[in-house]
Amino acid sequence: MVEDELIQRSREGDLDCFNQLVERYQRQVYNLSLRMLGNPQAAEDATQDAFISAFKGISKFRGGSFRTWLFRIAANACRDQLRSLRRRPTTSLDALPLELEWDRHTPSPEEYALARELGEEIRRGLLALPADQRLAVILRDILGLDYEEIAQATASSLGTVKSRLSRGRARLRRHLEPYRELFL
Amino acid sequence: MFRKKSECQQLEGMLSSYIDGQLSPSQRQRIEGHIEGCDACRRELESLRATLNLLHRVPMVLPPRSFAIAEVVPKRRAVAFGALRTATAVAVIVLAFFFAGDAFHLFDAGLIQERYAQEVTPDAGDILDKGVTPAEAQGYEWPVRQIELALIGVVVALGGATAILWQRKRQGEKALRG
Repeated sequence: MVEDELIQRSREGDLDCFNQLVERYQRQVYNLSLRMLGNPQAAEDATQDAFISAFKGISKFRGGSFRTWLFRIAANACRDQLRSLRRRPTTSLDALPLELEWDRHTPSPEEYALARELGEEIRRGLLALPADQRLAVILRDILGLDYEEIAQATASSLGTVKSRLSRGRARLRRHLEPYRELFL
Repeated sequence: MFRKKSECQQLEGMLSSYIDGQLSPSQRQRIEGHIEGCDACRRELESLRATLNLLHRVPMVLPPRSFAIAEVVPKRRAVAFGALRTATAVAVIVLAFFFAGDAFHLFDAGLIQERYAQEVTPDAGDILDKGVTPAEAQGYEWPVRQIELALIGVVVALGGATAILWQRKRQGEKALRG
């Protein structure tokens, strides 16, 4: 079934159709949440909350890109989770390591270890960014949205998107500078 | 020297958009012209590109479970729950009113008088059996005890139904969250 039809039926309350949309997008929404929060459990909660909010509010979807609309809801769910994580200092953002999946066919164990180390640094670098810059970088460089889509997903102007990306990427570059020899 | 630094600083903020092809032709030419003669900015551009390539290598993790929504609390049930809750509250208030009225003899007849009547009139039970209400027998205007018993029954029934719906609502919300 094409996406428009699934959306239309979901609007009429057809849960099976909505769940087909969930199946299509859950990987992207989960990855957005995971990179935003750096905490698998919080990412699960944010993803589930995002889909529940999306189902409840699907009548408000006014066409355009469903994925972008969904990301906007997911970004809000992440914001709520971030607030909740800050209130619970025992589960701080750094407390739970996030294992990045790197190419398992890396030839040598040393290279694999280096890739793991770099992955951990990317995770730390992302989490060190202000949330709005982090969101822009994740949407652009990990999930591959274009500038227009990011503007819609973050309810910002194109100029703001460019500025957040520029500042976020520059900070990340500086964060990874000590590991330059690993990836250059 | 000062002018060159300012130019580098200005262009630094544009490198990200330059990599993504988001600059106007004149801005692009300005950057390309600048990095030809500025090693620092060229290195920075390379470093930024490498950083972005690294981010592109960050894999998409498989979600640990499905986020499909299991069940939805039907709107009808939510409306029924609200109505039942209100009805229970109203019944409790009316019951409280009767209890209070009873206790303060506002109905001109109360449990105390009725009990007293039963104690001093041995055939009060017979009166009831014959279909003569205590109100008629004792001159009561309100069959207070019956109303109270009926109201207690109503409160128990409505409260029970509300509790069952509340329980289902909670289960539904839990299922909704997977």
